[in-house]
Amino acid sequence: MISRLRSQATDTGKLIVDWLEHRAGIVTITEHFLYEPVPKRGAWIYTLGSATLFTITLQFLTGILLLFYYVPTTDHAWDSVNYIMTEAYFGQMIRGIHYWSANFLLVVIGLHMAQVFFSGGYKAPRELNWVVGVVLLLLTIVLAFTGYLLRWDQDGFWASVVGMKIGSYTPFVGGPTINFLLGGDVTGPATLSRFFALHVWLLPAALAPFIGIHLYLLRRHGVFGSEFEYSDRLAKLHERQRLESYEEYESDEGEPYTGRRDRADRNGDEE
Amino acid sequence: MAELQKDPMTRKDFLGFGILGAITGAILTIPPAAFVLGPIIDTDVLGESDVPNGPDDWFEVGSITDLKEEPVAFRVDFPVNQTYGDRAIQEESGLSTEEFVVESAVWVSWSTEILSDGSYGESRRPAFLDNYNGETLSEDQIQEVQGSLNVLSSSCAHLGCPVRWITKEGEGEFLCPCHGGIYNINGEYVGGPPPRGMYAYTSEVREDGKIYVRHEFDSGGDLGPQEPYVI
Repeated sequence: MISRLRSQATDTGKLIVDWLEHRAGIVTITEHFLYEPVPKRGAWIYTLGSATLFTITLQFLTGILLLFYYVPTTDHAWDSVNYIMTEAYFGQMIRGIHYWSANFLLVVIGLHMAQVFFSGGYKAPRELNWVVGVVLLLLTIVLAFTGYLLRWDQDGFWASVVGMKIGSYTPFVGGPTINFLLGGDVTGPATLSRFFALHVWLLPAALAPFIGIHLYLLRRHGVFGSEFEYSDRLAKLHERQRLESYEEYESDEGEPYTGRRDRADRNGDEE
Repeated sequence: MAELQKDPMTRKDFLGFGILGAITGAILTIPPAAFVLGPIIDTDVLGESDVPNGPDDWFEVGSITDLKEEPVAFRVDFPVNQTYGDRAIQEESGLSTEEFVVESAVWVSWSTEILSDGSYGESRRPAFLDNYNGETLSEDQIQEVQGSLNVLSSSCAHLGCPVRWITKEGEGEFLCPCHGGIYNINGEYVGGPPPRGMYAYTSEVREDGKIYVRHEFDSGGDLGPQEPYVI
């Protein structure tokens, strides 16, 4: 009974996946995006990019949630954050995740960049991906800076004042940029509105397509080789998995299976 | 080389596209750009300020009877015109009379002689103030008081943190909590990262013995201007 249900469920699942694969190529895409052969040694270090993506996703999700209560006006900003922290269900947790994952995000980005730098992952043909990554870094820093003021407490307020004053020393463009951020020449209601608009709309909207480009370029060149090397390795991986399934089958009969697998690997190397 | 243009373009087409493109581009970009960059146009091009700073916009700081030997911080709330809405309509409705103010601390100290070793000499505080209790001041007295007052912005000339007065062994100095900028009692630069002394307000003393300031600063200072000075 149970086994019949299980096989029925498997069949239905296969049917749905097949249907989706035929219409949208979903299996091919998933394989292409998820199966990346990595060296066995030190594989964890290649998760730093995914960790960055995960933290950014957390930012997007918790940020959307916070918007349900946050009010970007000078007389309500602090109160609404206080409400989130004290009254709203799980408010402390959701804002806490937004706050801490923002901190971790910058740490993880630093580690990610260090890994790419020291492994030489920025070299041709991946220079453009490094450039796009730096754009992402700058956008993230501006996001962190603009988010700081939104709390409208003493800490965030003065940190923003100091940050803007640092920016104001930039030759030629410093003054106008600061007046643009301030919405005039003093910190006031317009400043909060502008930081809110930047933090919640402009910068995330700018960030998203750059993340897309970053991932596209990553898959185009792969982490370890070109597109062709990548599909080559993927083909080898599939071949090995096929052979391993034979191996399982054959080992049931007590016959060790080594020869063919070795031969397959040797053939691959000779190409 | 990658071939981007399969059909070669004639000069006429190119010019036509160029002119049409320029016009369309201008129509599409100028309104949103001006919309977003409005504060730059108002502040940097037209020279307007969010705080009223016309010749008649004086704000009361405090009375000279409140001054002590050490600098005293007065709180001044400068109204900020960044609120959206018509003031006349707001007043008529009576619903929202509140306006946003930028809370500023104004440090007022008596101008003091600085000796060659940096210690403080004689204060220039007028002698008649010893027996002064808020009577109407004469023209000469006003001149004397005005000439011996430092009316300073609390915003550090380095990065805008509010400075405070620190006393140690009888001597005092203005210290910025952020990066340790130090100024003497006259607001002049002593040490640390600031590029100049503290900003001084344009100020005046009136007959009733009260100090008034306008929301503008000396932009020169002893080490040149640092703009934008208002944050």
